[in-house]
Amino acid sequence: MGNESLNNDRSRSPVAYGRAVAGLVLSLWCALGYAQNIPRTPDGKPDLQGIWKAEASAIAALQTNAAAGDMNAVASVVQGSIPYQEWAVTQRQTNFANRLAEDPLNKCYLPGVPRIMALDYPYQIFQTEAHVAMTFQWTQVFRLIPLTEEPSLYEGVEAWMGRARGRWEGDTLVVELKDFNDRSWLDASGNFHSAALTVTERYSMIDEDTIRYEATINDPEVYSEPWTLSYELERQKDLVRLMEYQCQAEKEELSGDFERDERTWYPAPIPEENVAFDATAGRELPLPQPTGTIRRLPDGTPDISGYYMADAGGANYGLESADNRFLTPNSRGVIVDPEHGGLPYQDWARAERLDREKPHRGYDDPTAHCFVAGVPRSHYVPSPFFIIQAKDFVVVLHERMSWRQISLTRTEHLPDDIRLWQGDSIGRWEGDTLVVESSNFNGKAWLNESGDVVSHMQKVRETFTPVDENTVIYRATISDPIPYTRPWTIEMPFNRSEDELLEVACLEDNNDLQHLKDVRDEWRAAQQAN
Amino acid sequence: MKHIVSLTALSLLMSAGSALAHHSFSAEYDENKPIQLTGKVTEMKWSNPHGWIYLDVEDENGQVTNWALETSAANGLIRRGWRKEDLPPGTVLKVEGWQARNGSPTGNIRSVTFEDGRRLFAGTSNQNVREDEK
Repeated sequence: MGNESLNNDRSRSPVAYGRAVAGLVLSLWCALGYAQNIPRTPDGKPDLQGIWKAEASAIAALQTNAAAGDMNAVASVVQGSIPYQEWAVTQRQTNFANRLAEDPLNKCYLPGVPRIMALDYPYQIFQTEAHVAMTFQWTQVFRLIPLTEEPSLYEGVEAWMGRARGRWEGDTLVVELKDFNDRSWLDASGNFHSAALTVTERYSMIDEDTIRYEATINDPEVYSEPWTLSYELERQKDLVRLMEYQCQAEKEELSGDFERDERTWYPAPIPEENVAFDATAGRELPLPQPTGTIRRLPDGTPDISGYYMADAGGANYGLESADNRFLTPNSRGVIVDPEHGGLPYQDWARAERLDREKPHRGYDDPTAHCFVAGVPRSHYVPSPFFIIQAKDFVVVLHERMSWRQISLTRTEHLPDDIRLWQGDSIGRWEGDTLVVESSNFNGKAWLNESGDVVSHMQKVRETFTPVDENTVIYRATISDPIPYTRPWTIEMPFNRSEDELLEVACLEDNNDLQHLKDVRDEWRAAQQAN
Repeated sequence: MKHIVSLTALSLLMSAGSALAHHSFSAEYDENKPIQLTGKVTEMKWSNPHGWIYLDVEDENGQVTNWALETSAANGLIRRGWRKEDLPPGTVLKVEGWQARNGSPTGNIRSVTFEDGRRLFAGTSNQNVREDEK
């Protein structure tokens, strides 16, 4: 319609009037954050689930920067400019000048919020009625956001990533964060905050492939008033699944501080002296039977979500039964097959296991470097974990700051040359048992501190069987023809309780590693002298 | 403990008893170098999987050495109701444990007591020792 129509009587007709009102309501609806044509969860909330990444302009720096050596010139994602207090302007300039040495991210420390949302790595969002969880490719960081107004059990305990509470305001997910430490930066150009920081994030879906992300930053110690940044998150449609980027592991492998083991790392061959692997050995263990009522989701699937701690009986110090030794706890022995409770090692691997117990090998345990513990060790490191059951996925968030995601819909594992610390896990429900098959491991993990051996050829079959409201019986069968002669199985209960995950920032103050390296280097020097 | 411990935290304390080790303590510390130290707290790092208490210890010649003493994970301590403000700088502590193999003033502590004899959380990775602490 042209201008003429403005003077047309029809514009004042009831139909046109109705259209105009409908248009106005639609505009208001959109302005209030009620988007059309977006995916929704069964309870009618926008479905934010999927793999996302910040738009390019958000990555690197928040405010407009001229290109500076390591940095591209970028457009600002901040509304106006950051209202620093006078002293803080100077601090920010100092940070900028020293950014290569001082940026906490260059030390692989946790990025904080909102910085984690704008790294140049994808992340995945999972939703339930009670939680929003995010798993990040960068160093397998996760965020767990309870959708509740209830205070945390741990109010006031500082964390790099803050303490989050979320809620829905119409179609917008609003996340309030506090209890930050003062050590993270907001970007790579030295923008910073104090421990008084609070952040309010708003996630609004514009269309099925775009989320408008907004974060209001308040910190009366550093800024003169609150300020807001915003940018878009773009759905990463071409990704089959989220991969892993382990910041510190990549650095240490590059520098030689974490050394390659040719016998176990991908693509190590099966040693010629090995006896043939008997894949059919092993006994069929009947699945554990329920001893009480188990929780269920509305569709009848067992509900195994929540906070768990494994009753692992010292599995992190040995899978076979062992008495306590100096500063090493006893191991109950968690092997249920073979029946004698011993691991069916190849000779060379038993010798390697015994060698790994020596002090000069303590440095070689990847978890001493704060690397990911692998599967099944992540479940008994010993630290708690939280299970989320979202659409198409069971996700495990390990307090030791890593995650596993178990796809319930994929049917094929990743191509053989993609290798991951946590492997590639595909699961299905068989009756009331979650059965998970994992492969594509990188072979870098140890099964515990004592050095039980596993290689890149390991395949893991796990069963998670809830037997009452608060207990899941966990089994893992490992088939690995490099260190073993046959498959073997461990079993332990996972106990659920009403607790919350805290944060483990392992690299922060990891004084131990240098000591372990000293012990190793001293041993090597003595070997050379002989 | 100064803090009221929630039932959840208490049940964890009773049930889990987890030593949140992330590396071999026996590789790092020397069984043949037991230590007994008394000194003033200069700092506590509430880090994970292990916390660190820094203690100024004066020898018979008046020489002060700052010892780094490894505790169990901060998260375990937090779940048991301990908070940062419970261990301010200047607190006098008596500790027992073992020194690092590399000879540095670093120790893994099996017991920590305040001047009045109360036991601090302490924690080595040795679950048997930890059982005694409870």
